[in-house]
Amino acid sequence: MALAALLTACSDTAGDGTGAAASAPDAKDWDAVLATADGQTVNWYMYGGDDNLNTFVNGELSDRLEKLGVTLNQVKITDTVDAVNKVLAEEQAGRDDDGSVDMIWVNGENFATGKQADLWTCGYPENLPNAQYVDFTDPAVTSDFGVPIEGCESVWQQADSALVYDSEALADNDVESVDSLIAWAGANPGRFTYAAPPDFTGSMAVRTFLYDTADNPERLLGAFDEAVYGPISAELWQRLNDLEPSLWRGGDTYPASQDDVERLYADDEIDAYLTYGPGAVAVKAADGVFPASTREAVLDVGNIANNSFVAIPYNAEHTAAAMVVANELLDPELQLALFRANGAYPAVDLESLPSVQRAAFDAVDLGPSVLPLADLTANTRPELRADYVALIEADWKANVQQR
Amino acid sequence: MRRAAVAWLLAATFLLPLVPLATWAVSGQWRYPDLLPRETSGRGLALLVDPNSDVLTGLTTSLLIGAVVTVLALAVGAPAGRALGLYTFPGKRVVQFVLLAPAIVPGLAVLLGIQVFLLRYGLADTVAGVVLVHLVPTVPYVTLLMTGAFANFDVGYEQQARVLGAGPLRTFWHVTLPALRPSLAVAGFFAFLVSWSEYVLTLLVGGGTVKTLPLLLFAYVRGADLTEAAAVGMLLVVPPLLLVALLSRQLSGSPGAMVGLGRL
Amino acid sequence: MTAAGPGAPAAGRRALRVPRWALILAQLSPALLVVGGLFAGGVGLGLAQSLGYLPFLGGWSWNLDAYRAVWADPAVRASFALTFRIAFLSTAAATVLGVSAALLVHRVGRFRSALTSVLSAPLPVPHIVGALCMLLLLSQSGLLSRVTRAAGLTETQAEFPALTADAFGWGIIAEYVWKESPFVAVVTLAALTGGVDDLVGAARTLGARPWQCFRHVVLPLISPSVAATSILVFAFTFGSYEVPFLLGRPFPAALPVVALQYYRDVDLAARPQAMALAVVISVLVAVLVAVYMALLGRLVRRAP
Repeated sequence: MALAALLTACSDTAGDGTGAAASAPDAKDWDAVLATADGQTVNWYMYGGDDNLNTFVNGELSDRLEKLGVTLNQVKITDTVDAVNKVLAEEQAGRDDDGSVDMIWVNGENFATGKQADLWTCGYPENLPNAQYVDFTDPAVTSDFGVPIEGCESVWQQADSALVYDSEALADNDVESVDSLIAWAGANPGRFTYAAPPDFTGSMAVRTFLYDTADNPERLLGAFDEAVYGPISAELWQRLNDLEPSLWRGGDTYPASQDDVERLYADDEIDAYLTYGPGAVAVKAADGVFPASTREAVLDVGNIANNSFVAIPYNAEHTAAAMVVANELLDPELQLALFRANGAYPAVDLESLPSVQRAAFDAVDLGPSVLPLADLTANTRPELRADYVALIEADWKANVQQR
Repeated sequence: MRRAAVAWLLAATFLLPLVPLATWAVSGQWRYPDLLPRETSGRGLALLVDPNSDVLTGLTTSLLIGAVVTVLALAVGAPAGRALGLYTFPGKRVVQFVLLAPAIVPGLAVLLGIQVFLLRYGLADTVAGVVLVHLVPTVPYVTLLMTGAFANFDVGYEQQARVLGAGPLRTFWHVTLPALRPSLAVAGFFAFLVSWSEYVLTLLVGGGTVKTLPLLLFAYVRGADLTEAAAVGMLLVVPPLLLVALLSRQLSGSPGAMVGLGRL
Repeated sequence: MTAAGPGAPAAGRRALRVPRWALILAQLSPALLVVGGLFAGGVGLGLAQSLGYLPFLGGWSWNLDAYRAVWADPAVRASFALTFRIAFLSTAAATVLGVSAALLVHRVGRFRSALTSVLSAPLPVPHIVGALCMLLLLSQSGLLSRVTRAAGLTETQAEFPALTADAFGWGIIAEYVWKESPFVAVVTLAALTGGVDDLVGAARTLGARPWQCFRHVVLPLISPSVAATSILVFAFTFGSYEVPFLLGRPFPAALPVVALQYYRDVDLAARPQAMALAVVISVLVAVLVAVYMALLGRLVRRAP
């Protein structure tokens, strides 16, 4: 991240690519934006491993956008960092107007990196027509992993972590807390694991353990404090290393990504895993990819909630069309359709919706394998700051993986 | 007799890994420890023809790039093969080294350095850029094959034709081309296959925008649904197998072709 | 193998008198431009960037920081060991298996071509598909594991040995051996068809024993081909990305996988390190090319 800032400074010196937050078409004049966007194609770089989501994006969302004259081109990527990297590379190569990336589904560290390098177009989210449905006083909407958003990305969906498990292998009291989960793993070695950080979900798993290790997780929020982090992290690594022999493959190796973890669960090699997308389990259980006895639980330490966003790079070629997409994503009808199709939780403020629409959200039944929204949000904890997260990931590598 | 039995057993072992691939492509639920899928499903095959999935796009892109790369590689490699096969000249060994090395040195190592320039000059994320970098592993093999072909080509036929009054173009069309057609077919076949199977180069230069089948398959293999992955895998493997079957006679007759096979 | 240049047209024609050197140059230029340019350009620029060059930006200087960082990284050291091990073992196994298969098939009378076709089935299969096949076959919940369970040898997935995502690289080696031994076999078969049988027959008549026939007649005949293909196999297995990525672990990973990991790191300080690794891979493999070239000359001369 430091070098990205250095890069910006260097590029200013060389005169190649200012990297400054570009002046986007003014969202307040929405008719003008729509007029510009008509006929444009949006290259939306987003994680492509969720088939269900892909079908939705290429189907229903795409159709809605066609009516506005915008063609959606979903570019599937395996890791959001690749898209950010591409924008950085284009900036480095001096391409300031015709960037190939129009929009990225992003949050957390990747957003922070981009913000530090001034990669994002800013200033439009609060002026979008559908912004009326967003609660801009909610800290989950105004800051992303502790980084103030300042209008540089527009919210899309909510993620709440949860433990997914096979109820035939784990009883209710096994999934009550981190301690009980560890005890169960000890009694059933090789049936639990988590993805290796810096995978987004694997990182969350480590942070779940971290919150549980700290008696008072609130101490970890806010700026980094070595006096607080040092002893807690030492205890955390100890705990994770002690857990290793009970993990899949004896903790010899960790799955490279969350996809691999879910494959292990589907293949019946593990019985439980932590996820950021509890809603997506519904489809897999219905398809038979997951066993029908799949259930979810929130450990007593609470779960971690964050919002994910769409951000428009400064050099995007089709900024107006990207803004139209960002606006469409906030449409309550679309949020409801997405919730139904994929179990992706809405980021719009349900309180702001007319009661009929709110009832429609409540009425969505995702099946027995998925926790209802109310249960999922009962005990949520916010995310740590992005640089904290990066530190934890690096420390995990050194203290647990390479040990 | 025993020898034949062992040989056929070996052959069966070589075919074994393809069995789970074909089975998974049509399976519905197939969880451990079942030896056979509990139910078959058209889900995987439906994905191949679903307009909402990327498979059809990937297929056409792969075919298009493969065709263009084949034509270009032949156009570039055949003359080079002629020069190397028919003449000796100072520096020939150096030229051979330069033209052959890209087939050996991993493309990834070569491409990392040039990526930022392709980006700058607008070749990244384009089909043209992908075609260009696909030439790096294909032209060396075409050159190698055509060098062997020309080395066995009796230039006397061309000279006879010229003596009898044919112009250079007619000579080429009626004398050179028919004699070289089998080798050209084999060389073209390899160029196509290398391009068809290429992943890393397409990923680096295409950046995810240029969607070829190998890129798609890679994403599916890392996903949780093996049925879909296997279906796409079958799509990726069937055309090469068909091509090999069609060209088997030419392939077995050409030792230089064998060398090219190693690249795949 | 080479003729005196037919650049000059037959006497008496009114065609252009093209000098021989111009003709050769014209024929070589497109290939040299495209391939030489991209290849030399790529390697050269990679080398420059590994030494600190930052294109399109100012304020850089030559340095060896990337190489120092790469050398100090435990992930890279582990990667060297893994990559060499996989390459050596895959090449050795593929060569032995391929030559044995070729010798076997060569002696089979009927259905030899059918047998050869079946043996060559893995050849046109793209490596990504090969990796998927190995995953489906060798993973702990794969087909082989289910067979051993049905046979009563294992009871759960965990009891089946870890062949994929393992520390040694068995699954990766299996994929390479599956794909490359048919290659070695086919090349060896081609080398065996050149009158070997007559020579062996003559040797037997003179009283040589089977092992002596093999060692002194067959082996020298097939050695150039086998050696050349082994070099090719080694170079390929050393530099391949897809297979170790799909069948191996995130740590330690094969060299090309680590190189790409560095390249995709958002921290641009890792970029020169990626270049450094790329240069190292190129140099290691290029040395092998030189050896291959020497052997290739002998191979081409034997073509019928």
